[in-house]
Amino acid sequence: MLPSFSYVRPETVKDTVKHASARGAALHAGGTDLIGCLREGIMDVDKVVSLSALADLYGIRETADDGLTIGALATITEVAENPLVRNKYPGLAQGASEVASPQLRNQGTLGGNLCQKPRCWYYRGEFHCLRKGGDMCYALAGEHQFHAVFGHDRICVITHPSDTAPVLAALGAKLRVAGPDGGKTIAVENLHVPPRDNVLTETVLGPGEVITRIDLPRPAANLKSSYRKVRARRSWDFALAGVALALEMDGDRVENSRVFLSGAAPIPWRSRSVENVIRGRRLDDKTIAEARAAIVENADPLPGNTYKLELFKGVIEEELSAMGRPE
Amino acid sequence: MAQDDSIYYRQGLPVPETPEPGRDAGFWETTDIVGKRVARVDGYERLSGAAVYPSDIKLPNMIYGAILRCPHPHARVKKLNTAPARKMPGVRALISGDAPESGGLQWKYDDYAAPLFDPHCRFEGEVLAAVAADTRYQAWDAVRAIKVEYEVLPYVSDHDQALDDKAPRVHESGNLVGSDEYIRGDADKGLSRADAVVEQTYQTPCELHTPMELHGCVANWDGDRLTIWESSQGVYAVQSRISEVLEMPLSKVRVIGHYMGGGFGSKLQPGKYTVLAALLARKAARPVKMILTREETYLCVGNRPANTMRLKAGARKDGTLTGLDFACTGPSGAYPAGGTSLVDWQIRDLYQCDNVRCSSRDVYIHAGPARPFRAPGHPQGSWALEQMMDDLAEKIGMDPVELRLKNIPEVSQARGNIPYTTTGLRQCIEKGAEQFGWKAAVKKAREHNRSNRAVKRGVGMGACVWIVGGGGPPATVAIKLFRDGSVNLNMGASDIGTGTKTVMALVAAEELGIRPEVIQIEHADTGTTQYATPSGGSKTVPTESPTVRNAAIDVKRQVLEMAAEDLDVPAADLVYQGAEVVSGSNSEKRIRVTEVSRLKKRGVVMGVGYRGPNPEGKSVNPFGAQFCELEVNIGTGEVSILRFLGAHDSGRVLDRLTYDNQVFGGIVMGIGLGLTEFRQLDAKQTGKLCNRNWHDYKLPTALDVPADMVSLPIEIDDPEANNTGAKGLGEPVTIPTAAAIANALYMATSVRFTRAPVNPIEIRRHL
Ligand SMILES: Cc1cc2nc3c(=O)[nH]c(=O)nc-3n(C[C@H](O)[C@H](O)[C@H](O)COP(=O)(O)OP(=O)(O)OC[C@H]3O[C@@H](n4cnc5c(N)ncnc54)[C@H](O)[C@@H]3O)c2cc1C
Ligand code: SF4
Repeated sequence: MLPSFSYVRPETVKDTVKHASARGAALHAGGTDLIGCLREGIMDVDKVVSLSALADLYGIRETADDGLTIGALATITEVAENPLVRNKYPGLAQGASEVASPQLRNQGTLGGNLCQKPRCWYYRGEFHCLRKGGDMCYALAGEHQFHAVFGHDRICVITHPSDTAPVLAALGAKLRVAGPDGGKTIAVENLHVPPRDNVLTETVLGPGEVITRIDLPRPAANLKSSYRKVRARRSWDFALAGVALALEMDGDRVENSRVFLSGAAPIPWRSRSVENVIRGRRLDDKTIAEARAAIVENADPLPGNTYKLELFKGVIEEELSAMGRPE
Repeated sequence: MAQDDSIYYRQGLPVPETPEPGRDAGFWETTDIVGKRVARVDGYERLSGAAVYPSDIKLPNMIYGAILRCPHPHARVKKLNTAPARKMPGVRALISGDAPESGGLQWKYDDYAAPLFDPHCRFEGEVLAAVAADTRYQAWDAVRAIKVEYEVLPYVSDHDQALDDKAPRVHESGNLVGSDEYIRGDADKGLSRADAVVEQTYQTPCELHTPMELHGCVANWDGDRLTIWESSQGVYAVQSRISEVLEMPLSKVRVIGHYMGGGFGSKLQPGKYTVLAALLARKAARPVKMILTREETYLCVGNRPANTMRLKAGARKDGTLTGLDFACTGPSGAYPAGGTSLVDWQIRDLYQCDNVRCSSRDVYIHAGPARPFRAPGHPQGSWALEQMMDDLAEKIGMDPVELRLKNIPEVSQARGNIPYTTTGLRQCIEKGAEQFGWKAAVKKAREHNRSNRAVKRGVGMGACVWIVGGGGPPATVAIKLFRDGSVNLNMGASDIGTGTKTVMALVAAEELGIRPEVIQIEHADTGTTQYATPSGGSKTVPTESPTVRNAAIDVKRQVLEMAAEDLDVPAADLVYQGAEVVSGSNSEKRIRVTEVSRLKKRGVVMGVGYRGPNPEGKSVNPFGAQFCELEVNIGTGEVSILRFLGAHDSGRVLDRLTYDNQVFGGIVMGIGLGLTEFRQLDAKQTGKLCNRNWHDYKLPTALDVPADMVSLPIEIDDPEANNTGAKGLGEPVTIPTAAAIANALYMATSVRFTRAPVNPIEIRRHL
């Protein structure tokens, strides 16, 4: 059952920021995550602020410098199917098409996808855990086969649920954010907060801050991007392990790379160890074997999720092999 | 209505011969409508949303119920303060253990009677109080306002630990619900004579039924008469239970369940919620709607218990099975509910084997009690036995299909060697393998695997027998023939989504020569329709279809008698031809059914049919075999099932569409057991349920099941089973699916996955 709340639908970003700055206010984009959170009582909300009247938050357009700007209210389906996205950033289109199920992709938005709450079953259940202000993480000593193997510091072991965030981070996307102090820009890779910094929040956004657009830089001519996700069933499920790649190639060598993992850590997890292995090299068997080893470097698996290490090795091998194959 | 010939599909041709009074109906040698692909008679209503399910019921002045449940797997209620809830807006009734109207009321689990409100809560979700209020929101707010002090007690979640000395006790008597042993011949001796012996432990997960429509009801009193609209597999079963609990005459409890959105065994009985709705409705003097939330249904309206099974089997080089030794443990939950029920049936009865030992231990744990779940026990036992058959086949160097064909029993060994009326086990395996292209597929998969490292292929199969499936008495059906020739079929059975209404319309249509569309069905209402047992055990078709036939024949007999008066010839000389009744000796003498004087005068002829007994000294059982082909991504553990074939002997096919539907649905559900589904308890910390929604409890999705599914009916005439020759289908179709997948996985990976479900987590743990 939902709590009782008031509902506003401001027509300007300014009004939205004002409404959203109040205590107990929550932004409502597609509502696919928010309504579930309210029903499950995992946050106290007494005012729902709809973004749907904000014209500035819609649409996917090319920018003057050949990049792309995506409105925060673009649906996941729009992102997955948009020809510009598919053409310039195929990894993002793949990431979007791997999200949830068709109904949820039609209703859920890109902004909401980046800001969604974790899916830890304790968090979503009747457990007053650390992230909800309680005093323990139930997953650590409990049932954590779906939980993180990196970056949790044994504080809170959620995996960040978004499939679009790792690709956007790999592609160097930036968020335009409106807030009480005016506008600012945040790189997607800096959006999410690891538990050691603050276990009570998932993003750096403060009260009243609204993502208005997601901007992607002009893709380098030699950019190759991809997203691959493994899950426990083939639809309507979050990543057990996923890899987002954005590689700039110099012939068959990797010149630059950005590698982000999903299903790995409380935030989209940058795998610098893989980046270091593949930089300047051909994606041949030897490189791939080293990348397999590198991807699990510094991992801190829990007793119930060590399988993820093998899984990440399998995924990175498959993805790098595909990238290495001539088109 | 004027005479309308379009209602007949037969004109001028005899419908099946009408047996003389007192004689049984003969077996249909051929059929005209039965067995065709006929769409659902209520398809439009279901698809358009016009069908009214219990969840859709809205009565004037109706209010809403909600239930306070214990959040702990084991706790004692020290204090329950309902006073704050009573003061909440909209609240019209509240009941808890200390209310006068709940005093002495009991709820039974098998033979175990517990108080309806028990302050000693033995599972998460146990009922403590219930509220009815003007809106659902008010009802839930009131539930939340009730203050409870619990003494939280230690719990046991794992059935494998339930019998440990240190395990917390669920009941004073200890944690053993009961044990069972079955012995045939001498298993040890048999195993000692084998050329190959294998032994293995297998585990299957606890599964949740998860029907689309939630459990629930609407209860309404009219004086001392109670009417309940319940989402149910059997209205008479609900009536009987509720009248027992509330100590009311059966006649005063009317239960209606026209449409219902699935149950899979979990709706064979009402729930405590049904009683609570009735009590609240009486107290508030208003109709009460009580539909559970998904979370509540996951906690307390049943499950397929998890099982741990140990199997040892031996075979000689020629494939003869010499011994089977099986042991199994499983949890009933917090009350007796059949935690190991029928798990050993495949081992006892599927394959020829003289030396069999099966033992089982049903235990208590602090979790919601089990309920029958589509083919109770069978898919679990199949998971063990069918994998072991493949292991044996490998050890003696025989093809798995061959090994099974070597061991086809001609009689039901577990029933003292009585014969089956028919057994299609051999044909299911042989014809299934042939149509599937078993040999070629095995070869192709092996070749594929030699040259591919990343993606491996496998094919696998499994066979099955279902313990019942012959149906049987009691059942009564009434058919009314109106004077315009249209027909009304009245039966108590529910249509649980399987197409019962459609199938029965076809049976009546076949006998009466009338188009199924003009047969109006009245059903699933204890106030107005005939007695039927609940739809479970795959018995509805073999129980109701002969009964429908008998009712139709009764109509025809009466019409022939009446026509005999009009035509002035003996009834025995008359032939029923759908639209007309014609004299066999003088075809000039004929009369339209709608012109028969006594029918015109009376307005209606009513025929009644009863279900006769099953054949004595024989067993009526369905058999099946399923085949699958799949791919495994070795790096990621992802499995794609490429195709499935189900070859099932369920006697005569009555409607090919609803038949195939069951086969496909059974396979989908079996894929859930094999690949995706499991209940997760937080066993180490709180004992609470972790996965309580459709994301965390992983039903297979459309992408997890293959588009290429083939249903191959193995139709064998079975005139002894009953007069339609149909056997049960709904449950056998889900028995061997998971095991067939496991066998295919073994061919692909050379790893025996003994623990279901085999998701990428499980695969990556082993590869
Ligand atoms: C069953 C299920 C399965 C799912 N599976 C997947 C999956 O596999 N992969 C995946 O990536 N996602 C998955 N999701 C998540 C889904 O993609 C998100 O729910 C969706 O993208 C959120 O978008 P929305 O517009 O509906 O967000 P809302 O529900 O409206 O909002 C979500 C959160 O973001 C905040 N928010 C929304 N817009 C903004 C904005 N512009 N600025 C600042 N804050 C904002 C809201 O306040 C809220 O807290 C799943 C969801 C469900 C329910
Ligand atoms: S992983 Fe995080 S969200 Fe989950 S129980 Fe632990 S603290 Fe709570």
